[in-house]
Amino acid sequence: MKQLAVALVALLFCAGATQAKPARVASLNLCADELVLRLADPGQVASVTFLARDPRSSNVAALARQVPVNRGLAEEIVPLAPDLVIVGAYTTRTTTALLRRLGLEVLELGVPQTLDEAYDQIRLVAARLGTPERGAALVDEMEAAFAHLPAPAAQPPSAIVLRPNGFTAGRGSLPGEVMARAGLDNLAARLATDRLGQLALEEVVWAQPDVLVVNAAPDAPPSLADDLLTHPALAAFRSSGRSVSLPIRLWTCVGPQLAEAAARLAAAADTVAKAATETAAPPPGGPPSAPSRIQTALPTTGEAAR
Amino acid sequence: MTASPLSHKALIATLCVGVAVLLIASVAVGYAPLDLGAAIADLAAGRQTLPALVLAELRLPRAILGAAVGFSLGITGAALQGLMRNPLADPGVVGVSGAAALGAVVAFYFGFSSAFALALPLGGLIGAGLSTAFLLTLAGRGAGTATLILAGVALSSLSGALTALALNLAPSPYAALEVVFWLMGSLSDRSLAHVALALPFMAVGWALVLTTGRALDALTLGEDAAASLGFPLRRVRLLVIGGTAMAVGASVAVAGAIGFVGLVVPHLMRPFVGHRPGRLLLASGLAGAALTLGADIAVRLIPTRPELKLGVVTALIGAPFFLALLRHLKVDGE
Amino acid sequence: MLEARHISVNRGGTLVVRDLSLAARPGEMLGLIGPNGAGKTSVLRALAGLDPIAAGTITYGGRTADEIGRRVLGRTLAYLPQNGRIHWPLPVEEVVALGRLPHGAASVDDAVERAMDAVELAPLRRRSAGTLSGGERARLLLARALAVEAPALLADEPVAALDPYHQLQVMELLRATARAGTAVVAVLHDLTLAARFCDRIALMKDGRLIAEGPPAAVLTADRVGEAYGVTVERGEIGGEPFILPWRRHDRAPDRKEPEA
Repeated sequence: MKQLAVALVALLFCAGATQAKPARVASLNLCADELVLRLADPGQVASVTFLARDPRSSNVAALARQVPVNRGLAEEIVPLAPDLVIVGAYTTRTTTALLRRLGLEVLELGVPQTLDEAYDQIRLVAARLGTPERGAALVDEMEAAFAHLPAPAAQPPSAIVLRPNGFTAGRGSLPGEVMARAGLDNLAARLATDRLGQLALEEVVWAQPDVLVVNAAPDAPPSLADDLLTHPALAAFRSSGRSVSLPIRLWTCVGPQLAEAAARLAAAADTVAKAATETAAPPPGGPPSAPSRIQTALPTTGEAAR
Repeated sequence: MTASPLSHKALIATLCVGVAVLLIASVAVGYAPLDLGAAIADLAAGRQTLPALVLAELRLPRAILGAAVGFSLGITGAALQGLMRNPLADPGVVGVSGAAALGAVVAFYFGFSSAFALALPLGGLIGAGLSTAFLLTLAGRGAGTATLILAGVALSSLSGALTALALNLAPSPYAALEVVFWLMGSLSDRSLAHVALALPFMAVGWALVLTTGRALDALTLGEDAAASLGFPLRRVRLLVIGGTAMAVGASVAVAGAIGFVGLVVPHLMRPFVGHRPGRLLLASGLAGAALTLGADIAVRLIPTRPELKLGVVTALIGAPFFLALLRHLKVDGE
Repeated sequence: MLEARHISVNRGGTLVVRDLSLAARPGEMLGLIGPNGAGKTSVLRALAGLDPIAAGTITYGGRTADEIGRRVLGRTLAYLPQNGRIHWPLPVEEVVALGRLPHGAASVDDAVERAMDAVELAPLRRRSAGTLSGGERARLLLARALAVEAPALLADEPVAALDPYHQLQVMELLRATARAGTAVVAVLHDLTLAARFCDRIALMKDGRLIAEGPPAAVLTADRVGEAYGVTVERGEIGGEPFILPWRRHDRAPDRKEPEA
């Protein structure tokens, strides 16, 4: 994955050097939307996805309102005659293939797994849009914001991210790095096996993280996926202030919002750390000291109990 | 012959023991290495420990719902088969579960149940009630097995399509993907709140259905003979419709439409109750509870992530059984 | 015991029974005969309280069905439907025991034993009803009706599916039941059986009662000819009558379309 990103960057710098600044850019992916709307000149954007206008999922809803939207269909994109189409590596595959066959210039963005990859992606898109200075400024801004975070504690509080349907942020994910920078120890990295693992509610409760990061919108329309996040078994996290609600849009895509996510998590980590030093005692009742037990009891996700 | 009531009691007792064992097994199986003894001790003593929390908030609701949903499907399957004198009548096959799912989906995804919690079971109840009434009207007009099953197939497809449509129209982006839950059923991550919402309706449904036992016995001889024996058939039909609507509607509202339990279980139990439709009710309820608990234990032991839907396992067991059964069953005979 | 006064029965807007009066007395066997579509089954169903009557009254021992109540009516009369089916393969004795439902539980008691003995099914008591022959099933259904031990027994074509041996057996059984004090009403098609075993005959045509009385008075060549549109040959064997339908009339019997 990393090699691919490096290769892409290299490819881009070669290409960018020879190619003219694109005048009509279309984006087919929400995360591409955010970068394009932030980095391009106002007149440069021909179309972004409809998702970019939804303030629940997008950080650039206001900017997207001035731009035509698409639903990721080739027939919407071709008439725009874009000179650059930016797509995601895992979305609108059919459309992407079709656009390539039609000879359109397509830039494909992967999913960064680290902040460095995120910065690379910003620089890459900015360079391709012909606005490298804006990319550099955005990266500087983000780096500064992350630098402002308090230093992680010697024994960082443990945390698990819980998303609708029981998905979590696992090992080698961008949210994982954001958590680390915010001073949280991502327990799910030891539970879930891949970047986007799914956890049974029982595993989440049993792991007893110091902080439960809930990726939910409080005003989300009803669904079973979101219902899980308000399950009574998690009530103890909420009542004891160990649950922090973080809108998922803050860390799904690359942008300055990542720093905001980190700041919120750092605040939560700080609160929990303070509470722990005040009581200066292991968690009440139940199994003995939480961290040691978790590591021995739940080595992998694949293991159904007994 | 005093032997058969005694052996019937023995059968019921055996089934009760089986359900109890499976309830304990269901509570014992999960994703965390729970020390059940300690958890029960903590819970009984009112200590709010982690094992007590996992037991009370996750394992118990799942086990209780598994037993209650299975009991509902088994008993209503037996009641519908007895009432229609049709061995294929089952809440899933004849479309009652599908219609209940549609009602629950509308209640849940369009915000009615967040405004008013009881809207969820009531939605399922309305869907189940309307479809049961429709099928019984059809059966009352003398429709044969084939007509009834075809109507059920049509009803199932229609409610399945409308459920998918409703889920696509629902405001939540997750809704469309959750059609699997509603069509296949699952007991994962259910809470005591779901138990509290559904169990009272189910219990009333069971009670209504159980009062029809002797009338269902009499219906072995057909409607005229049953009526001449003093059974008010209109009331019996209403009791079965109402009981089925409540038990199946509430079950589907919290666990989705789990297929095949109501079909298979009465057939399994019939030889053990001397084919008496009245005695079949309680036996099928208990056997349905056992089957559903067993299937729900299986989905947790089968190492797939995410967990298999419960309806997948019941269909894997039920469908081949059903096909084998068809070889011995003259569906349109006599 | 069972008395219908001026009853009419409406089925789908058509009067299938008009102004018919009939009484069944304890100890007596009443044969209800007539051509197809005459309304025999409609009368029997009305007497059993299964269908509402459009006019007239039906009383059971002087009281109406409403006064008696559905539950008590269930043990006041036993009804044996035509072509009765047994939908689940219950053991024979349990089918018979269903006749005890109006008395409480469907348990195998003395009445069930008597009924099984009467139709000679006791040896098959544990057999599944699904494995019986047609004749055995018909006798089983009769035993079920007998097990009610009701003061009135209404049987719709009880011998329709039976071979001659079992036809005679069932008719003897019905007569014996009547002799024991039950009011028996049976819809019959076989004129000889009707003549030999019934105490009284009610002859119906087009929803009306056209003759009623002792067999010798009702089953005359003229009346049978008029009702069925056939000539009959009559005779006697050992003092008992036989009546054989012999030829069809040239024209079918003039059947009035019943008016609404």
